[in-house]
Amino acid sequence: MCIVTLHGCVYVSTRVRLCACSSCVITSLSASSSAPFQEVLKQARGTLESEMNESGAQLLARLEARRSLKDIEPRLFPDGGGPESGEVVELFGTEGTGKTELLYHLLCRCVLPEAAGGLQVDVVFVDTDYSLDMLRLVSVLDGRLNAGDATRLSLRTPRFPWTGEPQQGRTRVSECLCLCPDEEALSSCLSRLLVVHCSSSSQLLLTLHFLETSLSARPGLSLLLIDSISAFYWPDRSAGGASVTKQEETLTKCSELLGRLLRDYRVTVFTSCHPIRRSGAGSSSDWDRPFLCRSWQRLVTHRLLCSRQEAAGGAGEQRRRQVFSVHCNSFKTKTQRSSCFTVTDGGVQFL
Amino acid sequence: MVVLRDGMCPGLEEELLRQLRAADVKTVEDLVSSDIEELARRCSVSYKALFAIRRVLLAQHAAFPVSGADLYQELLSSTAILSTGIPRLDKLLDSGLYTGEITELCGGPGSGKSQVCFSVSVNVSFHLKQSVIYVDTTGGLTAGRMLQMLRTETSSSEQQMEALQRIRIFRAFDVYALLDVLHGLGGGLLQQASIGGGSVKALIVDSVSAVIAPLLGGKQSEGMSLMVQVAGVLKTLAKDFSVAVLVTNHVSRSASGEVQPGLGASWSHIPRTRVLLERADRGPLRRATLTKSSRQPCLLTEELDLQLWTRPESPPSGKRKLPDS
Repeated sequence: MCIVTLHGCVYVSTRVRLCACSSCVITSLSASSSAPFQEVLKQARGTLESEMNESGAQLLARLEARRSLKDIEPRLFPDGGGPESGEVVELFGTEGTGKTELLYHLLCRCVLPEAAGGLQVDVVFVDTDYSLDMLRLVSVLDGRLNAGDATRLSLRTPRFPWTGEPQQGRTRVSECLCLCPDEEALSSCLSRLLVVHCSSSSQLLLTLHFLETSLSARPGLSLLLIDSISAFYWPDRSAGGASVTKQEETLTKCSELLGRLLRDYRVTVFTSCHPIRRSGAGSSSDWDRPFLCRSWQRLVTHRLLCSRQEAAGGAGEQRRRQVFSVHCNSFKTKTQRSSCFTVTDGGVQFL
Repeated sequence: MVVLRDGMCPGLEEELLRQLRAADVKTVEDLVSSDIEELARRCSVSYKALFAIRRVLLAQHAAFPVSGADLYQELLSSTAILSTGIPRLDKLLDSGLYTGEITELCGGPGSGKSQVCFSVSVNVSFHLKQSVIYVDTTGGLTAGRMLQMLRTETSSSEQQMEALQRIRIFRAFDVYALLDVLHGLGGGLLQQASIGGGSVKALIVDSVSAVIAPLLGGKQSEGMSLMVQVAGVLKTLAKDFSVAVLVTNHVSRSASGEVQPGLGASWSHIPRTRVLLERADRGPLRRATLTKSSRQPCLLTEELDLQLWTRPESPPSGKRKLPDS
């Protein structure tokens, strides 16, 4: 018989399906009680104490459905075909086709408060490429927060860390030194973002397991961003030797785990994926063919193909406005949509 | 992949390890992914003990989530912008090299990639009084040229020597040697390398393609794997120690005759900022084009004069030169 303390309530049961989240503590009466185990348990429980107290309201919030991101960006997805809870969107495109900008755009939309036209949800950013540019993200976020006053673009000037004196020179960054309108709004937006850096595919797997705790503890968490899912493709391929199964093993495990997390916690996933071939090089037609393992492909429900339109003409004004196009393919509804956008100082602007 | 070992965490003992191995659980990933309830039954250990072990292992090996707000604050206090010493290039790069990022210079032979690297080294060591790590993979580093550049800045040989001493040179002629150097830097050498005050602010690899390009091609995936490893170490060094990383790369031509950076599609998204250097049509001028950036509109062009330091009569410059236009 086990006594299970689950989310602050006590259940008594003979056999329970145990939850792996951090808020559950299991006290088994029948456990073999050798001393080291007791010690481990004590240690584990010590770390738990802080997370253990949960009110009924919080429990309710957890059991409630998470915010759907179906309306995250209506201009990107086919009508009524936005990503439902538990679906996976893959952004695919070569370097310099606006994937990262698009991700920042979506990220900003999620973390911005409702008053500023956002969705006000929590986001986890899994950074496998070490590519998250916080300064850029903040400048996009700032642009959105001060949408009314477009001329104000604020960012504090980085200072020389060793002397503390501000950087010299007239940079765009430093010109806006004194224009920090709402530091508080910005930091409340940023506190809705959790960032995780992963350096190998097995660490990605462990981190996804670890994130299950965050998922169950934060009902406001609706979006999981992975930039990028293809980061460990080559190391994995090389480490796996000749066997394809071995090469794809870790990513397959990650995909299976992600599939389960999506079912259990109903979050939406956006990932970026870098092609392994150049478009237009050699056999040009298959650069956009999916190359990651099958179980990952099965998860993907929307695929956004990013590309850059060749800038026509060489006029100075034309150069500043590079046009990016993105083609959305929703597998479930079998609908498609193309849209175009440009990138400005304030982020993505749809045309 | 982390193999389970005795003493990794409290409670994980010889006996339990043997039982786990018998149940085909050998690594941390295996243990974490397996059904704990089922495993507890098979190994005849208590569920709670196994569960606690799983939690401790996860906390040890998973990456820890950091709040975006904290990350931003940390970034604000650690980011610095290093001037390259070439005003027009600074303008292109939105005032210089940013710490925590990888900047790439690509261009054909004689397009001035190494000259720019020298200029950055000299500027950081002389004007900013910070240390520079210069990894030379081609043997193309000429200390004489650096000294020549320094001579135009100061006539005091003491100051010149002091500046040169802050530039630490490593030579690595294959990818394994390069990885060795980079791992060494990550493992504490980077802090030690700060000679004469200032900390290491710039890491220059000239050129990264010279050691990687020979490994690519064919059906081998090992070369690609090594390339991704090099990229990974460079990125972690840049982020963890807030160092500006500058690498140089060669160029190739696509089927349609367009100039593109070398090392292929998998490398192309590694640098955050890329500048393409070309010989301008006339004389010593070089044309620099910004081909990738998250701060400035792409395809901006500037002309650089790399002979700047060879003219002995060039006026002694202040902390920053004004663009001569």
